[in-house]
Amino acid sequence: MSQLKERLFRELSDAVVEMDEERAVAVAKAIVENNLDAYEAIEKGLSDGMCRAGRLFEEEEYFVPELLICSDAMYAGLDVLRPHIKPNGEGPRYKVVIGVIEGDTHDIGKNLVKIMLETSGFEVIDLGRDIPPKKFVDEARKTGAKIIGISTLMTTTMDGMQEVIRLLEAENVRDRFKVMIGGGPVSQSFADRIGADGYAENAAEAVKLARKLVGGAV
Amino acid sequence: MNALSPKERLLRVLRKERVERPPVICTGGMMNAAVVEVMNRTGHTLPEAHHDDQLMAELAGDVHEITGFENLGIPFCLTVEAEVLGSEINFGSLSCEPKIAREIYPSVSKVEFEDVKKLARSGRINTVIQAGYRLSRKYPDVPVIGNLTGPVSTAASIVDPMRFLKELRKDRENAHRVMEYVSDLLIEYARLMVENGVTLISIGDPTATGEILGPKIFEEYAVRYLNKVIDGIRSFGVPVIVHICGNMNTVKAFIPRIKSDAISTDAMVSLRSLKQEFPQLTTMGNLSTYLLQFGSPDRVAKQAARLVRDGVDIISPACGLSTSTPLENIQAMTKAVKGIGSHD
Repeated sequence: MSQLKERLFRELSDAVVEMDEERAVAVAKAIVENNLDAYEAIEKGLSDGMCRAGRLFEEEEYFVPELLICSDAMYAGLDVLRPHIKPNGEGPRYKVVIGVIEGDTHDIGKNLVKIMLETSGFEVIDLGRDIPPKKFVDEARKTGAKIIGISTLMTTTMDGMQEVIRLLEAENVRDRFKVMIGGGPVSQSFADRIGADGYAENAAEAVKLARKLVGGAV
Repeated sequence: MNALSPKERLLRVLRKERVERPPVICTGGMMNAAVVEVMNRTGHTLPEAHHDDQLMAELAGDVHEITGFENLGIPFCLTVEAEVLGSEINFGSLSCEPKIAREIYPSVSKVEFEDVKKLARSGRINTVIQAGYRLSRKYPDVPVIGNLTGPVSTAASIVDPMRFLKELRKDRENAHRVMEYVSDLLIEYARLMVENGVTLISIGDPTATGEILGPKIFEEYAVRYLNKVIDGIRSFGVPVIVHICGNMNTVKAFIPRIKSDAISTDAMVSLRSLKQEFPQLTTMGNLSTYLLQFGSPDRVAKQAARLVRDGVDIISPACGLSTSTPLENIQAMTKAVKGIGSHD
């Protein structure tokens, strides 16, 4: 039994890394048919596969198109497995409010960060693109998120990131949230300048940063 | 000896001929210098100037006269082509540039092909062409640069970009058809600009980076269709500049294969070492826009002077300028290149 389990989890992980959506679905179904633990399959199959894909991305073997196709396979497998997760299979998850700041509609980077955070056990509330600073603050307060993730690709919108932090301060809730930023024109020094808690250069880095910001609890 | 007009100087550099100092320019398009301070000074403002050829020409003239950049650059956004092809545009505000509100097609397989000659006579393409005509008449000695959004970025502005990037691998046949179509429109648009007096064309293709596409897809799509557009434009008898975003690490080997007359790069690329590696390249760039926005005039001037010393052929900002960039810093940059002031 455990050999079968190991084999199927490995196959699921491979299907994700190898961008094979059909195989991911087939393997996920086999896992359900064999009554294997769906939560474990997500963790050791799908997430593991995305994690390996993320490593290939960091090593510049995979690029954005490849990572997106991997994530399609991952989500397809997830759709099969999710209805079979036993209650209490999951612990509490940290919430991250994420979006592209107002003035920008480039959301490739943000979507990658969302995918990688989700596969790493965060609950992601995706606000979308072209989002006003106030909305980040309101949604973070409403959902009890621990982290606010703000992305931009355009230099013209960098002031909006600072505005989010100003609003958090004005509402006296700055210490309740960690703010992380990313995107083409921003940098660690810009993060320092506006008082953000962290900067991540890419999606894989964003996961590491998010883990660090919640104290390594994920 | 200092009798070269800005137009002559830039054209000479693009022909790899000797000049007494590099030109200092800011192409327009994704790299435009219509900063808030300039617009507030003259009252020729965005977003209105995106739609009115006279205002567009006046704003381009203001930018040239006030900043010291030795060119005129139009338009002031990356959305003209996508709008003509049907996508919905949000025109932004004085300080916020236009962007795609919604791409018209969900997938490369759903793109409807229209007659590019007809498309190139519609929408704001007309505005840009008229503005180019006005500028070339008013400023005969200053190069007028017409800016195109590169083929990959234009395609990713009419097809949902997440889907588009996947389909570059998964539906290559349709992806190539869309790229051909978009490239044909760009060539036709450039032809009309050139016919109406534009001196040269600059192409910015921010989606076509090594970081996003990786080397294989960069070669298959970016290099191929940039070259298609470049070949088309050069057949009209004008030079072409191409700006490549990002660090170029994974795609450097392809850069000499891009047939433009000059290559402009982001700030993180060392143009000095790029030139050492590929001496045949005419390089352009790459003063950090971060430094331009947040640095002091003195540091900006020093950096500009360093680029001149490094042998960069055309001095320019490295990327799109923030609209809140202080005018003082931009002037420090242009003056330093022209040898005015107390740097060095």
